[in-house]
Amino acid sequence: MAPRSVLVIGSGPIIIGQAAEFDYAGVQACRSLREEGRRVVLVNSNPATIMTDPEVAEAVYLEPLTLPSVRSIIERERPDALLPTLGGQTGLNLAVELSDAGVLEEFRVELLGTPVETIKLAEDRNLFKTKMIEIGEPVPDSTIVTDVKSGVAFAQARGYPLVVRPAYTLGGTGGGIVHTEQQLRETLESGLAASIIHQVLLETSLLGWKEIEYEVLRDRANNCIIVCNMENIDPVGVHTGDSIVVAPSQTLSDLEYQMLRTSSLNVIRALNVQGGCNIQFALHPERTEYRIIEVNPRVSRSSALASKATGYPIAKIATKIALGQTLDEIPNPVTGVTRAAYEPALDYVVVKIPRWPFDKFPLADTRLGTQMKSTGEAMGIGRTFGAALLKAVRGLDLQRETLSGNGLSAWRDEEIEAVIAQPNHDRLFAVAEALRRGIAIARVCELSAIDPFWLHEILELVELEERLRNGAARADVAVARECGYSSAGINGLVGERADKGSNGAAFRMVDTAAAEFPAKSPYYYIAHGEADEMRLPARDAVVVVGSGPIRIGQGIEFDYSSVHAAWALRAAGCASVVVNNNPETVSTDFDISDTLVFEPPGADEVHAAYNATHAKGVLLAFGGQTAINLAHELAQRGVRIIGSDRATLDMAEDRRKFDDALHRLGVARPSGIAAASFREARAAARELGFPVLVRPSYVLGGRGMEIVYNEGQLASYAEAAPPILPNAPLLVDKYLRGLEVEVDAAFDGRDILIPGIFEHVERAGIHSGDSISVYPTQTVSPDMESRIVEVTTAVARELQIRGLINIQFVIHEGALFIIEANPRASRTVPIISKATGINLVAAATRIALGQKLSHMEYGTGLLPKAPFTVVKVPVFSFAKMRGVETILGPEMKSTGEVLGIDYSFAGALRKGFIAAGIRLPEAGGRLLATIADQSKDEAIPVLRRYANLGFTIVATQGTRKALQAAGIHAHGINKIQDGSPHTLDIITGHKVDLVINDATGPKELNDSYRIRRAAVEANVACLTSLDTARALAEALESIAGPPRTLQEYRAAAVLPAVS
Amino acid sequence: MARKASLFLADGTRFDGEGLNHEGLALGEAVFYTGMTGYEEALTDPSYAGQILTFTYPMIGNYGISGTVAQYSRACVSAAVMKRISRHPSHHDMKTDLPAWLDAQAIPTMTGADTRSITIALREHGSIWAALAVGEEALAHAEARLVAFARTATTKELVPSVATRQTHAAGHPHGPRVVVLDCGVKRAIIRDLASLGAAITVLPYDATAEEIFRSDPQAIVISPGPGDPADLPQTVEMLKGILGERPLFGVCLGHQLLALACGAKTFKLPYGHRGGNQPVKDLLRNEVMVTAHNHGYAVDGDSLPAGLQATMVNLNDGTNEGFRHRDLPVAAVQFHPEASPGPYDARHLFAEWLREAGVLKARS
Repeated sequence: MAPRSVLVIGSGPIIIGQAAEFDYAGVQACRSLREEGRRVVLVNSNPATIMTDPEVAEAVYLEPLTLPSVRSIIERERPDALLPTLGGQTGLNLAVELSDAGVLEEFRVELLGTPVETIKLAEDRNLFKTKMIEIGEPVPDSTIVTDVKSGVAFAQARGYPLVVRPAYTLGGTGGGIVHTEQQLRETLESGLAASIIHQVLLETSLLGWKEIEYEVLRDRANNCIIVCNMENIDPVGVHTGDSIVVAPSQTLSDLEYQMLRTSSLNVIRALNVQGGCNIQFALHPERTEYRIIEVNPRVSRSSALASKATGYPIAKIATKIALGQTLDEIPNPVTGVTRAAYEPALDYVVVKIPRWPFDKFPLADTRLGTQMKSTGEAMGIGRTFGAALLKAVRGLDLQRETLSGNGLSAWRDEEIEAVIAQPNHDRLFAVAEALRRGIAIARVCELSAIDPFWLHEILELVELEERLRNGAARADVAVARECGYSSAGINGLVGERADKGSNGAAFRMVDTAAAEFPAKSPYYYIAHGEADEMRLPARDAVVVVGSGPIRIGQGIEFDYSSVHAAWALRAAGCASVVVNNNPETVSTDFDISDTLVFEPPGADEVHAAYNATHAKGVLLAFGGQTAINLAHELAQRGVRIIGSDRATLDMAEDRRKFDDALHRLGVARPSGIAAASFREARAAARELGFPVLVRPSYVLGGRGMEIVYNEGQLASYAEAAPPILPNAPLLVDKYLRGLEVEVDAAFDGRDILIPGIFEHVERAGIHSGDSISVYPTQTVSPDMESRIVEVTTAVARELQIRGLINIQFVIHEGALFIIEANPRASRTVPIISKATGINLVAAATRIALGQKLSHMEYGTGLLPKAPFTVVKVPVFSFAKMRGVETILGPEMKSTGEVLGIDYSFAGALRKGFIAAGIRLPEAGGRLLATIADQSKDEAIPVLRRYANLGFTIVATQGTRKALQAAGIHAHGINKIQDGSPHTLDIITGHKVDLVINDATGPKELNDSYRIRRAAVEANVACLTSLDTARALAEALESIAGPPRTLQEYRAAAVLPAVS
Repeated sequence: MARKASLFLADGTRFDGEGLNHEGLALGEAVFYTGMTGYEEALTDPSYAGQILTFTYPMIGNYGISGTVAQYSRACVSAAVMKRISRHPSHHDMKTDLPAWLDAQAIPTMTGADTRSITIALREHGSIWAALAVGEEALAHAEARLVAFARTATTKELVPSVATRQTHAAGHPHGPRVVVLDCGVKRAIIRDLASLGAAITVLPYDATAEEIFRSDPQAIVISPGPGDPADLPQTVEMLKGILGERPLFGVCLGHQLLALACGAKTFKLPYGHRGGNQPVKDLLRNEVMVTAHNHGYAVDGDSLPAGLQATMVNLNDGTNEGFRHRDLPVAAVQFHPEASPGPYDARHLFAEWLREAGVLKARS
């Protein structure tokens, strides 16, 4: 019997290797299931997603993705079936766990689509290798090892380099390419630790082979199609998630293309995949010879890319296949006339470039290898490779408009060549610079193994840039437009306004069919020098500017906001036009908006989309800082910005104007001084008194912000930071270590809507994105809340907000200070919207269209608190980033977040910690405490709670003494310099379950740092703030309630009608 | 300075671009190919004879010309149109680059063209007579020549222009005897039959039954080729005469010719199928194959006489993709099992046919 209710498991928080692509896949899956009349039960701990909207599934569980948690959801919901292959590696692993634990059998839950045996066959390196050999498909020479010793033995027989691939991990966690025995030993240890079955594959290296991927779909009737193939510009050796990827392949002959296509079909059939599958190949550059590297029997990052690259909705079709439909009966949603049994033909080229977080992590190892390090990606679509490449480069939002230049001209040849040979995030630009200098293509090829085809293509672009620099002919400017350059890029090269923006932009359609069939999908990209195909929307259009690639500080929350803006426009009778270039996201799905323009959200593209759709306005408030930054340029071009207009946008960004406004309002802000030199900065710090918060002016997302405690630290900060210039002063603020509070509100000029107020667990000084935040507030007095509402309203009025405003406050010694105000959506918007049922984005969108809050159904003022508590816990990807400092501070470091919901604060905290992947040590756990001297008094009561919970406390001498003086028993452990066994030994030996490494106060960048890194490598939770430690103690002391759906929590909450 | 080039459609539409070094004027039917790889195979496919071929994929020539995958001794298209041609290809199999090869083949070629707009024009108008001119001289006469050409043009000379004139042998001298009736056969068909161990005799499309039976064939394959099956009434008559005498297999034009011989009808498709992504459902196995296509005419599925059973159907437009005779050893497919270019999903068909016909031993 066909299943009536289906459980869908999401992929949880955004981490490196698992990003927004699973929101996109999950949303398609849920919509697809509901189209087929199924009741959808969804579990996902990530609150920033569209998929956890109550509109997407009948039952939304924002609950931890753990076996016990999902088991109790299954027990409660009794779903008929489970769809396991759309929630990334997390969802897949959980499905296997549920199956192995007998849960699926116990509750008679049918597994839809690809069977568990297939998942195991594809994921278990040994089984997979055996199967491939059985069907005659070539795999690299390899061995499976479960201990270091046998790995070393294999290496002695085969030599180096070798690739270490842990089983059942994502993004290459714990793996790598090793060249020496020492590297092998280290990598085997981390790899074995990362694998849930303690198994790694050790294989001979295919370094330098071409890396090719195929996205395949298969149904139960054995019909198979290739949706897309892709070629990595970076040869084997760089993780595909960190590679520049081109679709379709460019350097493969038809023989090679079909050879790998045929192999893909052999593999997917042999594995009995029912749904989507990604197959990675290595193809020899000099012979017609290939190896299968890896198979993912699920929807993946690559399939999201393939979906956006072709227009073919893989997740949607994979879901229908899981329900038992076959490709020949499923209609093709793009053309509406053909069937899903169809292989897309492209008449354009797609390039994806990863976005790395190294700007946030100065200490990170930036070298690229088999472990993925990027957080997101930008995709460019162009009629030629060059155009697609330039759009992807520009779309990274790194202020790079060209291939050459970009600061690399100062590098020495050896430095350039070093990066080309040992790739990091700058390799593309290093290649361009090398070619610009006349370093031969053969030399670059020899260093990088990048196919000469790509190098010639890059050289052509570099030569064009040089011609533009040396006095361009008009024809070159036109060629540059066709090659994907922006007007800013062209003008920067030419040195004058040679190009005036969006002129000549032609919208071309992504139709899966290379124009062979007329398409229904309103999915466009821009070409120059060609005919335009834009179909004018039937209703008044409004452009929603998206936020580009996922990065630390600008994550999936802005995609959530963009999608809701598009939906709200549609509901208000307008046509939504989304401009965005992130292939992973829901907002770039062609059936979310009325018109999708897949382009970098830049001034040229937004302007062109605005003109082409005869839009009546542009919404910038939902695409994060990327969109906000366009305000000035768009307004200059005469584009109408609706919602909070340019004046207000300027105001929030210009500190002096903002300060003046606050002064007028009588609102306090931490005293601060702008310093034009180091001398001035030092004087300012002395005047304000240490500690002070320092940052360059015009910072976004806390970039370059630091708390310094003395003059020495100030000096080293000034050395490392961008130069202090009169037009880019250093801002020095008094650091107030108080309670941090955050508000999201919508203001219409008259009324304000504040669904709720968040309170942070950690005191100010830790970036709000890295803090645990709680709604409703737990310790803020009603009087203070009234004051917050009053100030928020006054600020919104003063800034002439028409839509969203996000304000961060500090409550310090009973007084309210304002730290920051942003006239846009924020990280907390999806959370407060989900917690309260108030769709803030819709409210703001309607305000931008001229409606008043008093005519909406949301109410005004500060709404009553919900009777339950939600706790947002940040999630970090430190394990993927060798060497990065994990200590939390004003610079944001988390990549994602989870939510805990419960009727009690402690219960919600507990769920939040569990969902964040912190293994809660039960009674009898061991805790290592290393506390700075000035925090010892504060630490004692916290550690006492752990002692009372039954923890064995291990501490270095100073901390131990303090504990014993307070009557808390603690075992001693050597500091590192005192010799083994010392703190690092017990961490790496897994002899502790939790590390509390208080990092308040001056940084100890030696032992303390090594302890934190050791904890990351050993996968031991390490808390660097006593506030977090206190919260965890509270969570450990409590019992969380059973899982409940968001809908149930909502129904129980009595929320007001229109006032 | 690049040479000017233009494509003129008979309805007056004109598309501009740049020419390669070879100057000249080509007249023919404008069609488009949607495959993303396989330009060398396509340019040398005899079925494109008399056609001005537009590549919908915009980056052509990236891996050069190998010489080893050509389907004919020369380029068969009349002219070629593309968005961008690679002047710096890279591939270990490469002998020369595509621009040099096209010039050497004297194929007028336009690059830098808005190929998507051309494709949309052809989709909306249907295949149409056209002229491609490269160089000032050709451009000056192109429109007048096209008007005259459009009045008188036919497809009648296409098959004779590419089919062999002489009987010749291929494959394994002592293998099962297979005749290929050459209407413009691709080398890949000969290659595939040879790889099955067949002793192949290739005869011209206008061979008589007597000539065909001279080699005492155990099976006869009627090849693909350019143009309209109605242009070959003699061949149809000949096939009528030998139905049932020996196993007959038709591919593409061969499929259409066999259909006519069995009493079905053919018609001209609005803009043809040319590419490597056409989904075809095998009605007997209930399975979808993705197949290589290159045809402008199709068999009318509704016209199949009672003796013929439809075995394959196109999932895009529902056109007939294959049939077999209920009583006689006659089978045919519209697509290209030999691929080249295109996917290999149907490559098993030749072996299956020959096995069914008893020419090859059944697989153990």
